[in-house]
Amino acid sequence: MIKQGPRDLVEQVQEAGLCIGCGSCVELCPYFRSHNGKTVVLHDCDLEQGRCHAWCPKAELDLEELSQALWGKPYRFTGVGPHLALTAAKAGPALGEGAFQSGGTVSALLAAALDQGMIQGAVLTGREGLEPLPTLARSLDEIKACAGSKFTAAPTLAAFNRAQAQGAEGLAVVATPCQGAALAQRRLDKVNPDAPTGPAELVVGLFCNWGLDPQGLMRFLGQKVNPETIKAMDIPPPPAGVLTVETTEGTLEIPLDEIRGFIPPACAICPDMTSEWADVSVGMLEGRPGWNTLVVRSEKGRALAEAAADKGWLVLEEMPADMREHLAGAAEAKRARALGAAQEQGLLGGPDEPGPKALRVGPEFWAELSQGKGE
Amino acid sequence: MANSEQANQRLTLMGNQAISRGALEAGMRVAAGYPGTPSSEIIENLAKSADEHGLYVEWSINEKVSLEVAAAASLAGLRSLCAMKQNGVNVASDFLLHLAGSGIRAGMVLVHCDDPGALSSVNEGESRHFARMIELPQLEPGDFQEAKDMTKWAFELSEELGQVVMLRSVTRLSHASGGVVPGPLPEVSGQARFEHNGSLLDPQRGPVTAGPVSVNHPRMQEKLARAVELFEESPFNTYSGPEEPELLVITCSICSLYVKEALVMLGAADRVGVLKLGTTWPLPPKLVQRNLERCERIMVVEEVIPFLEENLKIMAAELAGQIGPKQFMAKREGYLPSTGELNPDLVAAALARALDIEYQERPAGYAAKVASAAQATDTPRELAFCPGCPHRASYWSLKSALALDGRDGFICGDIGCYALGARPSNYGILKTLHAMGSGAGLATGFGQLGRFGMDQPVMAVSGDSTFYHAVIPALINAVHQKSPMSLVIMDNSGTAMTGFQPHPGTQTDAMGHPVPPVDLEGICRALGAEVTVCDPFDLETTRQAAMDMLADQSTAKVLILRQLCALSPERKGKKLYDVQVDPDKCLGGQCGCNRLCTRVFGCPGLAWERETGRAYIDEVICAGCGVCASVCPAGAIIKTERA
Repeated sequence: MIKQGPRDLVEQVQEAGLCIGCGSCVELCPYFRSHNGKTVVLHDCDLEQGRCHAWCPKAELDLEELSQALWGKPYRFTGVGPHLALTAAKAGPALGEGAFQSGGTVSALLAAALDQGMIQGAVLTGREGLEPLPTLARSLDEIKACAGSKFTAAPTLAAFNRAQAQGAEGLAVVATPCQGAALAQRRLDKVNPDAPTGPAELVVGLFCNWGLDPQGLMRFLGQKVNPETIKAMDIPPPPAGVLTVETTEGTLEIPLDEIRGFIPPACAICPDMTSEWADVSVGMLEGRPGWNTLVVRSEKGRALAEAAADKGWLVLEEMPADMREHLAGAAEAKRARALGAAQEQGLLGGPDEPGPKALRVGPEFWAELSQGKGE
Repeated sequence: MANSEQANQRLTLMGNQAISRGALEAGMRVAAGYPGTPSSEIIENLAKSADEHGLYVEWSINEKVSLEVAAAASLAGLRSLCAMKQNGVNVASDFLLHLAGSGIRAGMVLVHCDDPGALSSVNEGESRHFARMIELPQLEPGDFQEAKDMTKWAFELSEELGQVVMLRSVTRLSHASGGVVPGPLPEVSGQARFEHNGSLLDPQRGPVTAGPVSVNHPRMQEKLARAVELFEESPFNTYSGPEEPELLVITCSICSLYVKEALVMLGAADRVGVLKLGTTWPLPPKLVQRNLERCERIMVVEEVIPFLEENLKIMAAELAGQIGPKQFMAKREGYLPSTGELNPDLVAAALARALDIEYQERPAGYAAKVASAAQATDTPRELAFCPGCPHRASYWSLKSALALDGRDGFICGDIGCYALGARPSNYGILKTLHAMGSGAGLATGFGQLGRFGMDQPVMAVSGDSTFYHAVIPALINAVHQKSPMSLVIMDNSGTAMTGFQPHPGTQTDAMGHPVPPVDLEGICRALGAEVTVCDPFDLETTRQAAMDMLADQSTAKVLILRQLCALSPERKGKKLYDVQVDPDKCLGGQCGCNRLCTRVFGCPGLAWERETGRAYIDEVICAGCGVCASVCPAGAIIKTERA
């Protein structure tokens, strides 16, 4: 792990336009703040090493190192990446009613984890108008209040950092792939062993193709609807090609082409569609409304999924082979596209490439990628 | 004190005290000014003894009004004085031009104090040029006694000419002290009355107007011609040195002391003649001719722009037929700089060059020795706000608000202590800094540029005194022109930078008498601006108020950040809180803090203990404002309210 300081972070990420606003560097110190979905640098910090840089998912993210540490194998992922199980899932009867995206699997898993005593609370993302609002939920009702996709990058990890600084322990985080990468890096290193921030107890990853710049989306949607009336948003599976915004006044369909401009450049170099560093990952199940895809990756994730199914929080079903293939293809496509884009922009390197790099892979993979490029 | 001492006892007086004393000896009755270093002590001194001597003394809202107040007294038959710093003359100059046209009645003296080297200014403007431009007589005392004597004489001269007389001091005269033998204080009497029923052309009994120009302009020049006659004989123009020197130095003001000292340093007093001019505009040609005839080589020693030098060169050219060509050795010839202060060393170096004397300013290695000696005892420090200064707290919040806003917004600065915000040690937060009121004026202009694609929000800061002085017109402009300017008035309840002079928002006047304060919020609201008032020590609320201002760019807004200056008579020495650092909680240089309080916030009351790697409070200078407790990310700074 290449450890650098906040000035490097500002140069490599903020000023390079790669900041996704995940909040990983926020609330660790007085220097970084989140505002309107953006990470803001309030003052200059001249430390040569900082947690901000060490944990940032867009600065020197060593995929090989992470993969070896978390999954004990090289970063040469195929399909949905390392997993113990891949199933269809939806919330079981124990969870009750809620405004869930697809099958309510995330809420069900968190409810089960709380119920099992595996976690004391969960950091997830609610919404105030169009603004994503990271929240610490400590009860089932609080979890259900945050259900539903936000489609915008959110400083969820800022809330996680804040909760930890205030002494909270045993927290789950519902994380997008970038946030998952930030959390995973915390398992590798502690820049500052005395500070009370560390890895999460449980990471529930979300599938993500790309996020949207919250300020841009807010300005854009604000012209079309009253943000306070929004109930839910969804991007139905292809070939719909729209973002649906469900409001108290009715449902609005916005062609994806109109909002693509709000996709942050950082998403273009993200190789992870299915939250490959999480304990469990959840996404929609294409072709089966009301159901989710559940990827169980870690032993902890497996224990949770099994307990959740046992206690009726979660209903599991075998995932049909064609759906598996389709999902694997989509995940691989994103991975290849992102690594290609990162390489093209000079943001990808092997372990020994002179930095800064946003992403690094192992020596063999890098040789292969470089060769492919040379041919 | 100096104002009431009896005659003939030798006193040590500051130049500004000597000027006040001279005014009292002249029987001056009314004095007005606007505070500005290095001029402020003149009015302060007079204000102190106003009751004793039956004077009226005021700190006016700005220099132009102060000149008008002083002029009114003169027109009503009372001798009056007006004092200001160099750039104050710019503010007053419009009225000064017209007053020169109308003339005055009782003696009236405009004391203008220049600041060569910009020791307390953001300019080193040369206000003597107004004398030539506006056609007024210019006097320049060369030492402390002269400061007193010439001030007294300036009133007589003014009265004789029926014209305002300009008397120039500089920082090193105004603020240094020297021996002065005071003269007697007169019994003053006489009632104020403005005669205005005579003919328009009667300067003593008619209406007083700048026009008709066809009558008044020739009259102005007749007054100057009369001044020249008087200057030919003035005892303030002196020559010293051999009758036929190798080199003639012509000098004025405090530079005459530098020349004396330099000649002693060089042992060259017997080779050089010195013509010290006290009356520098208009130049008396006979006196100048007599002295130019002494030798071929002429050095002119004066500070900043070559005013005297150029006028002397013109005169030398005019006289060339009679006195022959002269070789000048001055600024335009590269002997002396035309920026910054002079000092005996610079003058000695110029003289040594002209006289071909070996001269070394300091022994070799001296500068290095001084620097290392200084390093051993002094911590290198940038200019910073005082401990407990509300401006630091205000800027801390504004800085955060601008960063969070994220549109690369900026602040237009203005003149006051808070101008230090332009320096890196005070966050470098001010991005423009010019004249009194210009921050707000620039901001109204920037605010109009959205139509040309500018998407940066703009703020302006102003102190309370500056607001009354020159910001109000800019605010009116912003409201009327719909400029989305955010004006932050940092109200520390006095003209703090120059020493707590009262202003229209305070409850006492210059003489210490109670007066009704004007309502700052009320004025802004009446002008049509939305007004919010915050305590800048409340960082969260202040930051939020600033962000609200930035978020709504539809109209002009005012945020008043009100908190007493830490050095104000009301707050000085009184701590609101006892403040301590808990060393167990302090994160010090670790990731998570990295010395935010000492390295970034930068209050001098916070100190850094290298050995322990922890911050601590310097009890001696901590002003007890408690703001650092809100800044500390670890909750390690603990404030306890004082009983």
